[in-house]
Amino acid sequence: MKLINRKKYYGYLFIAPFIIGFLLFGLYPVYNTLALSFTNTTLMVREGSFVGLDNFKRLFADNFFMKAVGNTWLIWLMNFVPQIGIAMLLSVWFTSQRLRLKGVGVWRALFFLPNLLMPAAIAGLFFSLFSYYGPINQFVVRAGFLEEAMHFLQNVPVTRGLVVFIQWWMWFGQTIIILMAGMTSIPIPLYEAAMVDGASGWQMFRRITLPLLKPILVYIFVTSLVGGMQLFDIPYLLTDGRGSPQSSILTNNILMYSKFASSKGHIGAASSVGVLVFIMTTICALSIFYFLRDKDASKERKEAKKRQALLRKVRRDENA
Amino acid sequence: MLKSNYTISTTIFRVLIYIFLIALLVVTIVPIWLLIVNATRSTVEIQQGISMFPSTHLLDNYNILLSKGLKIGRGFGNSLFLAGTTTVISVYFSLLTAYGVVVYEFKGKEIFNNFIVVLVMIPMQLSIIGFYQYMSRLGLTDNYLALILPSIASAGTVFFAKQYLESMVIHDLIDAARIDGASELGIFHRIMFPLAIPGAATMGIFAFVFSWNNFFTPFILITSLDKYTLPMLVKTLQGDVYRTEYGAIYLGLAMTIVPIIIIYAIFSRYIVSGIAMGAIKE
Repeated sequence: MKLINRKKYYGYLFIAPFIIGFLLFGLYPVYNTLALSFTNTTLMVREGSFVGLDNFKRLFADNFFMKAVGNTWLIWLMNFVPQIGIAMLLSVWFTSQRLRLKGVGVWRALFFLPNLLMPAAIAGLFFSLFSYYGPINQFVVRAGFLEEAMHFLQNVPVTRGLVVFIQWWMWFGQTIIILMAGMTSIPIPLYEAAMVDGASGWQMFRRITLPLLKPILVYIFVTSLVGGMQLFDIPYLLTDGRGSPQSSILTNNILMYSKFASSKGHIGAASSVGVLVFIMTTICALSIFYFLRDKDASKERKEAKKRQALLRKVRRDENA
Repeated sequence: MLKSNYTISTTIFRVLIYIFLIALLVVTIVPIWLLIVNATRSTVEIQQGISMFPSTHLLDNYNILLSKGLKIGRGFGNSLFLAGTTTVISVYFSLLTAYGVVVYEFKGKEIFNNFIVVLVMIPMQLSIIGFYQYMSRLGLTDNYLALILPSIASAGTVFFAKQYLESMVIHDLIDAARIDGASELGIFHRIMFPLAIPGAATMGIFAFVFSWNNFFTPFILITSLDKYTLPMLVKTLQGDVYRTEYGAIYLGLAMTIVPIIIIYAIFSRYIVSGIAMGAIKE
C-alpha cells in the first residue's frame, strides 16, 4: 500500500494520453456541434452568424423532423419489444435446470452471428433479396403466394417492417447473451428454496428472476434506446438514402445527414438535429433510470457511501 | 404415475422448444447463407431460382466486379489498414488508462471512473458534425488520421479494460517488480501487458469489428475514391452499373462479411464472454 502511495502522480501520467485524446477528439467536437447548432453555418462559408434558437424553432415547425423522430421511435419500439420478448423466453429456456437443453452455447453463438456483420452489407443483402427481380419475388410468385412480382421496397409497411425485422435479427442474439449472464448470476439456492415452498415456474420468474434482473434490463433498455435513436446504415442503404418510400424510414440521423450533405451543406442546421435528438434521448434514458431504479438499493448505496466516507475520515485522522 | 407424467410433459415441451429453435436458426442463418451461395452463382443461375448449394462461378463474379472498375481489393486493404491501426491504438491506450486507474490511487479517480461511464453513453450524432468541421479546419478531412487518432480515447474499451484488469491485476507482483528496480512504465509493458493478452484480444476483436463495419464516420469524412472503405464500396454496389450483375453484387457483399465470420468462428468464445462481461458489473 505504501509503495503505491508514493507513486501517486503516476496515475495521472497513465491516464494523460486518454485525457488529451478525449479533449481533442471527444470534448471539442461535442462543444463545436453545440456551438454550430446556434449558427447558420454552411460548408460554403467559414464562419456563420449566431442565430440563437432559430435552427431549433425551424426543426419543431418542420414536418420532416417530426416524421423522422416518429419513425425512429416507431422502428425502435417495434423491434425492441419482440427482441426483449424472444430473448427473455430463450434465456429462460437456456438456463432452465429442468429442461437441460443441449448445445446452448452453440445456439447462442449462432443467434448472435448477425450482430457482427456489417450493417451496410446487410442492407445491401436485403435490398437484393427484396428487389423486383430478386429471389423473394421469385419464390412468392412460383409458390403461388402472389399473382405477380411486387415492388416490395416501394411499399410503406413492407419497407418499414423490413427495417424493423433487420434490427430485430441483428440484436436479439446479443440480448440473449446479456440476459443469460444476468440470469446465471442469480444464486440457485433462491430457486431451490422457492421450489420447496411450492412455487410454480412462472412465480419464480416473476418474483425472483425479474426483480434481480432489473439492473441488466435497465442496461439493455438504455443501450438499445441510445443505439436505436442513431439508426442510420440500414434505412439509409435499403432504399434511396432519403427514407423512401414516402419518408417512411426517414430516421433522425438520415435527416441530419441530408442537411449536412445538402447542396450548401447546412452544418448549423444539421448540428441542431444532433443536439435535439441527444436531449430527447438523454431525457428518456434518465427517466428510465429514475423509474426503474431500485429504491431500497439506492438507499443502501447512500448509507454505504456515508459509512465509507466516515471510515476514510477515521483513517486520515489516524495517519495524522 | 405423477412423476412419469411430469417427465413426459417435459419431453414434449423440450421437443417443441427444439423445433422453435430450429425455426429461429433458419431465420438467422438463411439470409447469410443465401448471400454466400449466391456469390458463387452466375447471374443466370440466380435468376433461375433460389438454391442452397454453391455453384462454380466465384471467379467469374470476381472478374465482373473488377471489370466494372470497383476497386474491391483496394477497399479491402483500406478497411484492413484502418481497422488494424485503430485496434492497436485503442487497445494499447485503453489498457494504459485502465492500468493507471486500477493500480494507482489518486485524487479524482472516482470522478474519472464515473466520467468514463457517461462517455460510453454519448452518441456519435452529438459530435460528428462538429468533428467534421473541426477536421476540415485542420485540413484533415479525407485523411485517415481523422479516423485513427480518436481511437486514443475509446471510452467503451477503457471501461472493458478496467473491469478486466480489476479481475486480474496482482499488486504483489507489481511491488516485487518495483523492488527489483523496474520503472512504472516498464512494469506495465513487460509484466502487465503479456498477462493481459487474453483481455486485450477480446477488446481487440470488438474494436476491429466495430471499425471494419463502421460506415457513417468514413462516409462523412472520406471523399476520394482511393480511400473508400469496404462499407462505402458496398454503397456503390447498389448503383446502376451493377444493376444486372447479381452474382457480382453478392460477391462484393460476401467479401465484407466472410472475414468477420471467420474471425467469429475462431474467437466466438471470447466474443460471447466479452459481450456478457460488458453488461454485468454495472
